[in-house]
Amino acid sequence: MKPRIAFFDMASCEGCQLAILDCEDVFLHILDLVDIVEFREALSEKAPRFDVAFIEGSINREIDAERLRDIRARCTWLVSLGACACHGNVQARSNALSPAENLQRVYGPEACHVAQTDSQYWPLWAHTRVRAVHEVVKVDYHLRGCPVDRDEFLHLVKRLVAGSLPRFARQPVCVECKHNGNECVFEHGDTCMGQITWGGCDAICINGGYRCDGCRGLLPGVNLDSHRALLRERGLSDTDIDSRYRLFCSADVQPRGTRP
Amino acid sequence: MRGFLTTRATVLDWLHTLDQLGDVFFPQPMGESSFRFDKVRKHSLLAFEDFDATSTEKPFRASTCVQPPGKKLSPNNEQIFHFSKNENGEYQLTPTLDDRQRILAGVRPCDLKAIHLMDRINSDGIPDAHYLSRRQNTTIIAHDCLQPCDQHCFCDATGSLRWREGADIFLTPQPEAKLLIEALTERGEQLLADAGFTPCKNIEGRKTLAEAQRTKPFGRQFNAPLQQVIDTVSNSGESPVWDKHVERCFSCGTCNLVCPTCYCFDVQDDFNVDDPDSGQRTRSWDGCMLEAFAVVAGGHNFRPQLAARQRHRIKRKLAWLPARFGDGSFCVGCGRCGHQCTVDIDIFDIANDLLATAETKP
Repeated sequence: MKPRIAFFDMASCEGCQLAILDCEDVFLHILDLVDIVEFREALSEKAPRFDVAFIEGSINREIDAERLRDIRARCTWLVSLGACACHGNVQARSNALSPAENLQRVYGPEACHVAQTDSQYWPLWAHTRVRAVHEVVKVDYHLRGCPVDRDEFLHLVKRLVAGSLPRFARQPVCVECKHNGNECVFEHGDTCMGQITWGGCDAICINGGYRCDGCRGLLPGVNLDSHRALLRERGLSDTDIDSRYRLFCSADVQPRGTRP
Repeated sequence: MRGFLTTRATVLDWLHTLDQLGDVFFPQPMGESSFRFDKVRKHSLLAFEDFDATSTEKPFRASTCVQPPGKKLSPNNEQIFHFSKNENGEYQLTPTLDDRQRILAGVRPCDLKAIHLMDRINSDGIPDAHYLSRRQNTTIIAHDCLQPCDQHCFCDATGSLRWREGADIFLTPQPEAKLLIEALTERGEQLLADAGFTPCKNIEGRKTLAEAQRTKPFGRQFNAPLQQVIDTVSNSGESPVWDKHVERCFSCGTCNLVCPTCYCFDVQDDFNVDDPDSGQRTRSWDGCMLEAFAVVAGGHNFRPQLAARQRHRIKRKLAWLPARFGDGSFCVGCGRCGHQCTVDIDIFDIANDLLATAETKP
């Protein structure tokens, strides 16, 4: 029997699911290897059990956390799909603000007042923190990036089908950037997060002439002090640096625990 | 062997015609101020960047390519073999050997020496058939450098500035935008036979002329002769210098990955998604500065400390491999690692610091 895989979305733009549907040229071959049993972006069926669950999105409400625990109980392998699931992504920037300040910024002072006094809105307050998937349940593998890299997805599916361990190199973006022989972003006066960011994306943004903004999250154990000092030398203020680090919450909200 | 004298423009036009023999590679501008050792195509604009600045509107800044030419002989993600199932249901392995003809042109002496050292490495012990197959089908057209290409260059200090071995054709810059062209091998002779260049009668005189124009001292120089550098690095086990130079290091592996004499690789097997009974083994460039480089089965890491990894890298270049092969420094002084490092960690400074600490020792 073919392994059954399922996709679920939490707080996200669903772009990672689209990135997977982008495997058009090999999608029919993937269906020879696995059965997709639940996939809201592409399928209306639901399934009681599955072998691999891909979770896209961050956990913002307690109701999402409950749904996630239920999914975890129904699968063998659970995979965080994309930056939101892996480290919270842009929405986790609200973690740096108090809930009241956050509501006021988004909805204005009047709406903020109503939300605080009308009990109908109190469930909004039940969550105070945007969480990554591994902060709620055990995660077996992380597929990083905003959006995920389709080749990494294919690699993981192939390895799970073959019954071998997938390999996600624990190395910064610089490695793949040098593999491609690119001109270093610092060489033409810009600044880059490549040195401190998980690789695996084939340095796609630098290949295309842009810089790395760190969407794949902070590589564990990197020399963050040195990186901040370098950005200061290149003329960035501490406010600018914090803003760059917080864009994808890469350096601000570090995933805890061991990361496969 | 014969020599010819002609203009740079004629040589560049001639390089364009060589694509009938195979892929021709030459340094080509990339980004704002970098070069890529890239395939010559019909409309590629070629120039000898450091001594032909007058020929284009945008002045070329003299610089080495980010990736050295020698990497064309062991490319990243290279397929080593592919496997498939035969009629009896047995797996069959077929090695992948690349025997296409290629021409590497515009190779500097530092990179030429690096290719020579990689020839030694890949012929040693069990020969690397994949590298040697490419190497045997590669023609190298190198050129002399009369000015340092980069502020990080120290090729004279490592003894590679005057390297000639391995080149089939060698070009020496001459006044009035001319070039002295020498065939150094049979293969080079054959290539030049039909080129129609004007023979040069006074090759030695022309070489002396070029030597007189060479910048002196050429590039950065160590604070001691090369042999003393090698001896000092060989005897530097515990030293505060190792810790000093990793304070700002990101452990990003850039210094390894742009080095013309770094050849470590990692292998990976993969099956084809359209036919799971077939697939391939590939190898990709690895680097000893990366944290996971020395992790073995069971998860033990032999060099978890950054300073230990840095020491390993420097000792490979300036102590162990020189002792193992007796072919001089394995650092060819191209300056790429120091140039590409975003926090200016430079093997040249580390060597000089080790010399300084060794002197102050009682």
